[in-house]
Amino acid sequence: MTAPTRPVAATTSVATTVTAPPSALTGTAPAAPAAPATTTARAGASRPAGAGPGSRRRSWLRPSARRLARRALLRALVPTLLVAAWCAASYGGLVREIYLPTPTAMWSAFVDMRDALPGALVTSVGMTLTGYGLGLALGVGMGLAFAYSQLLRDLLGGVLDFIRPTPVFALIPLFLLWFGIGRGPQIALIAMGTSVVLSVTTLDAVRNVSPTHIRAAATLGATRRTIYRTVVLPSIFPHLLGAVRFSAAAAWGLDVAAELIGSQNGLGYLMMTRQQYIDTAGVLVVVVIYGLLATVLDRVIVLVERPLTAWTTREQPSATETAFRAG
Amino acid sequence: MNRSRGPRDMDPEDMDPEDIDSPEAGAGCLELCSLHVRLGGRAILAGIDLVVAPHEFVALVGPSGCGKTTLLGTVAGFVRPEHGEVRYGGRAVVGAGPERAMVFQDDAVFPWMRVRTNVAYGLKVRGVPRHERARLVDEALDLVGLRSSAGLWPRQLSGGMRKRVDIARALAVDPPVLLMDEPYGALDMMTKQRLQTEFEEIFERSRMTVLFVTHDLEEAVYLSDRVVVLAPRPGRVAETLEIPLPRPRPAEVKLTPEFQDLRRRLGRLVEAAEAAADVRGAA
Ligand SMILES: Nc1ncnc2c1ncn2[C@@H]1O[C@H](COP(=O)(O)OP(=O)(O)OP(=O)(O)O)[C@@H](O)[C@H]1O
Ligand SMILES: [Mg+2]
Repeated sequence: MTAPTRPVAATTSVATTVTAPPSALTGTAPAAPAAPATTTARAGASRPAGAGPGSRRRSWLRPSARRLARRALLRALVPTLLVAAWCAASYGGLVREIYLPTPTAMWSAFVDMRDALPGALVTSVGMTLTGYGLGLALGVGMGLAFAYSQLLRDLLGGVLDFIRPTPVFALIPLFLLWFGIGRGPQIALIAMGTSVVLSVTTLDAVRNVSPTHIRAAATLGATRRTIYRTVVLPSIFPHLLGAVRFSAAAAWGLDVAAELIGSQNGLGYLMMTRQQYIDTAGVLVVVVIYGLLATVLDRVIVLVERPLTAWTTREQPSATETAFRAG
Repeated sequence: MNRSRGPRDMDPEDMDPEDIDSPEAGAGCLELCSLHVRLGGRAILAGIDLVVAPHEFVALVGPSGCGKTTLLGTVAGFVRPEHGEVRYGGRAVVGAGPERAMVFQDDAVFPWMRVRTNVAYGLKVRGVPRHERARLVDEALDLVGLRSSAGLWPRQLSGGMRKRVDIARALAVDPPVLLMDEPYGALDMMTKQRLQTEFEEIFERSRMTVLFVTHDLEEAVYLSDRVVVLAPRPGRVAETLEIPLPRPRPAEVKLTPEFQDLRRRLGRLVEAAEAAADVRGAA
């Protein structure tokens, strides 16, 4: 923290504040809050000697807008550099085309695949979402059922404890052998893979529900089932979000794996055919598409989740930030 | 299973129908019969005998860690006694029941519900119709002075405000037995005194039987019909002090010589109980 952002310093040494070069301001600027900035301006105006043209210059943008602009610039910086490096490396011939194709090559690969892409996209998205949806229901459902019923834990707990840590990818060949190639096994695989994390997290979250909350509900007359619906479910929600997002990402991975190994259509299959032609550009196009799909799904989850956990403090990340800044 | 028990749905797995009384039996006695509780291998309560008459107000005092919360938990049905039992209306208590509401020492307000929904919770699970519920919730909120905060999330409240939500939530259901574990511990003097006076009035108007844990001896004398002093390690009843002050008790009662005398006597009893415990502990 340097003087320019401090209101106290500003009132005593207006000249320094005002004439500080913009670069220094943006460079240090741990986002001067709006209020101190206006204090500075007013202090400058009230002092006839300090109110030079320089004090005007500083307010060419509102502080909040300037802060936003600065953040946007910062965010764009690394991606821009990466793209620049990519262009330099590929067009400049530093890296061979089959390892790193040029942007132009990727574009033409994309154009080449435009007939196959829509169908593959629909297939993969459909299967992933179906599998993920099933996995979500299955995982959370299993976690809740296990937490609810001692009988179920005794009956199935041992089996599931063995199945759970087994890598799902290892099951792909078996699935192919048993169920053959098709949508069913692929969806089942995605559902299985995603439900694992979710069931463990759910069970854990239920175990961590505050006993005082459960007791309070019980003394107010809630039955066990009502307590489950009105206390357990809402309390575990925020704790599930991480697993819900993680398993969404895993769902795409499972889709790719299933299609690479045993499918006749879909994006993963398309990617494998491109690879057989040593068409790196085509492979990369599919990778980018998967990346975009996964990002979109992740955003959607966050958006859907937000109103459901409005009661947590998470909606104000600035609380932690301001605490750090104050220190 | 359907033994005409009002609109509530009862889970047979969770609550033995035997220990849930119809409202008219709510006038029953609360009996603690030679209660022994052991937690983590240690005897926490050793032979508590206490009979609380219908519509009696009993305060529990005693040094920190002597087992007051454990005692309330046993009455509420969360803690299972090793020997002895808690009887209500002549029947042994097994598990929590809606006729015994509790205000907890730690924060029990549901953070995922707004203040109003929190206070309405007990009424809702009992199937009280919506408009009736709204009226009772407003009443309870007025009582604790939180009407204007009804729409806030608990995280937006101070600790004392959250405590008041908790109290309002328990009062809203008008339970036959109310167990309160240091409900006013977190409040400032002014709010505390106001709530004490109002609670005293509520108690008189209601048919409630109250078991009230507190560290504040003045509060114990002011509110209760009888103060039970517990001695620690293991927890047992050391002394009992009747409070024959007539009701209603306006706040000015605290200034009378009778009140001051009772307050002093209680102070001596608590000191004696602690001293005796220290001697036993040292021996
Ligand atoms: N779950 C538990 N397992 C083991 N020991 C416990 C448990 N709960 C409470 N105790 C012990 O029982 C004793 C009584 O605890 P309790 O909470 O009833 O005290 P208290 O009288 O309410 O104290 P305070 O006035 O500080 O609230 C304490 O010594 C505590 O260490
Ligand atoms: Mg306690």
